[in-house]
Amino acid sequence: MPARLSVPQAMGMAALCLALLCLASLLLGAGDIGILPSLQALLGSSDDDARFIVFELRWVRTELAVLVGVALGAAGVLLQAVTRNPLAEPGLLGVSAGASFAVVLAINLGASAASLHLGVAMLGALVGCVLVLLVTRMRGVGDDPVRLVLAGAAFSGMLGALSSLLLLWDQRTADEMRFWVIGALAGRPLDTLEWSLPGLIGGLSMALLVVRPLAALALGERVASGLGHHPQLTRLGTLLAVAILVGTATAAAGPIAFIGLIVPYIARRLVGSDIRRTLGLSMLLGPSVLLLADVISRLLVRPYELPVGVVAAFVGAPILIAVVRQHRLPTL
Amino acid sequence: MSIRSHLQRTAAAIAASLLLTLPLHASERTLDSAYGPLTLSGTPQRVVALGDSALDAALSLGVQPVGTLASRGGDDVPDYLKAKAGKITLVGSVREPNLEAILRLQPDLVLASNDLPRELYAKLSLMAPTVVPKGNSFQNWRDTYLTYAQALGKSEEGQQRIAEIDARSAQLRQRLPQGQQVSVVRWNPQGPVIMSSHLFVGQLLADLGLQANELAAAQAQKPHSDVLSLENLSRINADWIFLATLNPDGRKALEDARKQTAFTRLKAVADERVVTVDGQIWSSSSGYLAAQQVLDDVEKALLD
Repeated sequence: MPARLSVPQAMGMAALCLALLCLASLLLGAGDIGILPSLQALLGSSDDDARFIVFELRWVRTELAVLVGVALGAAGVLLQAVTRNPLAEPGLLGVSAGASFAVVLAINLGASAASLHLGVAMLGALVGCVLVLLVTRMRGVGDDPVRLVLAGAAFSGMLGALSSLLLLWDQRTADEMRFWVIGALAGRPLDTLEWSLPGLIGGLSMALLVVRPLAALALGERVASGLGHHPQLTRLGTLLAVAILVGTATAAAGPIAFIGLIVPYIARRLVGSDIRRTLGLSMLLGPSVLLLADVISRLLVRPYELPVGVVAAFVGAPILIAVVRQHRLPTL
Repeated sequence: MSIRSHLQRTAAAIAASLLLTLPLHASERTLDSAYGPLTLSGTPQRVVALGDSALDAALSLGVQPVGTLASRGGDDVPDYLKAKAGKITLVGSVREPNLEAILRLQPDLVLASNDLPRELYAKLSLMAPTVVPKGNSFQNWRDTYLTYAQALGKSEEGQQRIAEIDARSAQLRQRLPQGQQVSVVRWNPQGPVIMSSHLFVGQLLADLGLQANELAAAQAQKPHSDVLSLENLSRINADWIFLATLNPDGRKALEDARKQTAFTRLKAVADERVVTVDGQIWSSSSGYLAAQQVLDDVEKALLD
């Protein structure tokens, strides 16, 4: 067993890391306002341009990144726990694909109001998730986690293909839709935060309800039942929480891959595999990784920007490889 | 069935097109195309115009093509050409021309866009003489237009049309305020892209004595910039901003843009000097009819 940190130690480190990245996110950008003027603006200087860029652009964007990162980190750790599959990620359960597809379909049918997207994406995430569940139940195979992931993968593939098809047909809105294929944090409508916050809170509350039974479930169905938990109900509740969290994140920033996959790995590496220990940590690590990706996305092609969805994979893969190489992985 | 009957049909089409071109008219003409010189004769009867610029040229010269492509960002003929084009068969999209649909129309002339790939050119040439103008979208738009005119056997009319545009813009230039800077922008959900000032519209605006903004002038290789960071939005600023949208509802795009405080901070926005224009004309077509529309738009915006 590799040396592990105590939960407070790990949480402290992750919180420090997140705070530093938040600061970096406020100080660095694709614009001409450098670190020093940004810092002065933060401390209350009166340069109008710098204040505008730091408070109106970078601040909002940082808040959004934190919100989306928390949602994705929590969703990832929940999903890996409930499927007992370290490869599970929101993208694999039809959740992200369902959310994206629902939005693409809505835009295709003529919707355009930005506020509509959140409700539609969340509904899509739920429907995608429920459909996957129904498929796994069709032949009475019960809650076999492997089948769940397989059905999810098949379903995601199908929904992704349908989204691409709609994009090919309707070139009118191709520009707008491109966002729903690759996520981004910049330039989201101002009310995105107000809309997403209730979703995040709802999803996290749901997660808190299931975290104990989930931990029991990790010891096996019989043990969990013996402890008075209801395995099926627990799974359903967890999936619901995941759907709400991923739906919220997707509506706010489009589909962002990889965060939900790598964050639980880092968390388990630090504090072990018990979900009661990893959930909170993942909620700090998720926004950290996303902020890192976002800051890089602004600096790579100045004065332009890359969508953070592209950069997240570039940042995520090396982290994951480093974690995998370092030690024997704690299993689920 | 398929390969054999396909070959038969192709052979029949080649034979048909040979028959049509056999009687040599006096109007034999050789034009310089991207894939070498091409000799044509007679007045083409069944023209297929692949691309908005080709369709614009044909219609402006009084030729009714039998087939064309859905425009970029749409699923039909571009709006500004719809009335003139009348009933016309769609033979695919800009991304993917449908060769079988083109063959079915039995064309005797294909006017292609200047970026037609060689493989497609080779196949189309089996069906009918295929004209691919030289250069790319940075080429002087007059060259492209005149190549199409020449192919249609209407060089003279083509020259006249160009002269009309040049006369109108010279006349408009006199009336416009001088030293004004303009930028042409497309608004994406992630942020804006600025159109290069070296394309068709940029060429027209330069003829009017309007200056391109710095970032637009710097786009010498690509038709438009990458998505600009909102932090750098001031780089699209100019005395006048033309906001081009590919869907006809320009107002919606403007509303989307207005939701961004970075956009409303721009001086042109504060001065209400943002004009929404049809992106099918302003960012993806060229030709006589498009030019008239661009001049209309500029005249209306800057003089009314």
